Amino acid sequence: MAEDVSALFDDYAERFVRGERPDPRAYFERAGEGSDELGTLIDRFLERVPPPAASDDAITLAEAWVAGHSPLVDLRAARGLRREEVVDHLIAALGLDRRKREKVKGYYHELENGLLDVTRVDRRVWEALADRLKVGISDLLAWRPRPLAGAAAYARRNEAVAQWPPAGAPTRLDQESDTVRGTDEIDQLFGRGA
Amino acid sequence: MTYESDAADAQLFSDGNIAGLLAKYNESIVGRCIARLKGSLDAEDVAQNIRLRLLAEFHRGKRYGDLPYRVVVHQVITWTLADYFAGRPTDAPLPDDWNPGGPDFSETVLERHSLMSLLEPLPEREQQVMERYYLLAMDIDQIAADLAIDRNNVDQALFRGRKRLREELAARG
Repeated sequence: MAEDVSALFDDYAERFVRGERPDPRAYFERAGEGSDELGTLIDRFLERVPPPAASDDAITLAEAWVAGHSPLVDLRAARGLRREEVVDHLIAALGLDRRKREKVKGYYHELENGLLDVTRVDRRVWEALADRLKVGISDLLAWRPRPLAGAAAYARRNEAVAQWPPAGAPTRLDQESDTVRGTDEIDQLFGRGA
Repeated sequence: MTYESDAADAQLFSDGNIAGLLAKYNESIVGRCIARLKGSLDAEDVAQNIRLRLLAEFHRGKRYGDLPYRVVVHQVITWTLADYFAGRPTDAPLPDDWNPGGPDFSETVLERHSLMSLLEPLPEREQQVMERYYLLAMDIDQIAADLAIDRNNVDQALFRGRKRLREELAARG
């Protein structure tokens, strides 16, 4: 049953100004048919209220992004974690077959470097990463690597996201999974499933 | 109307700390994109392009005079969302003559980005409570102590203030 839009907005606004970083999507789900009205209120409120100070993590991610680094890599480095440790955590947290560690590692490498369509990556992957990196899922989703300088790079990024993997040029992982083993759970989790 | 945090933003800007500014405003950028796109997964893509536009403007050496940086951010958000809904690319750089203050920069631009301007019809006490609650992030006990009023009075002022805020936000285009 949908909740009252006024109450949802009041709760969102209060949490936002207190730096609790509420997720608008969660509020839309609760608002049901009132989500349009709630979206209007949230948009106009955010336009008028100064945000709270950024967290140290947000600054780390933003600095990496501005420098053209992978925010995920810099955050991992700031946590003192090796890629292998994060991969092992993903395998354990997602209950994956350890024999497919190299495949998970390959996907995680692509994720760190902005080569996966993050909108297709399963939420469980984000939850596991957020847990290991001690950061919010919204940060991981927001701070994807930026393209290299220049207007042409903007177009390249969009092509990369929209057409990845490029037509006619399957990746090693795709070839492996699609032609040898078929699409499996790992492909699905990282958004490469059918 | 300007906010206390505007001065801190101006310092970050003059220090060349664009990362600090983007870190601070990212929640507003992403939040507005998700709100306007009604939760669509396109929101993060549009937010990325907004950050890219802000970064490009900064690297181009664009300066905005007395215009608070938060207004610049929100003007870029509004501009980029307009591009999105019009079916125009949101990843193209802003035009060279793009001016976030508009051709007739004035207090009206600031008012559009001011919470308190929405609450001016409220009695002064209610405005004080709302300002402390939403702009200074004080809790009810802190507000009661700061204004030397009863906690119940803070509650009542907040109730009326919130109602007014929602009404005004819904009415503004």
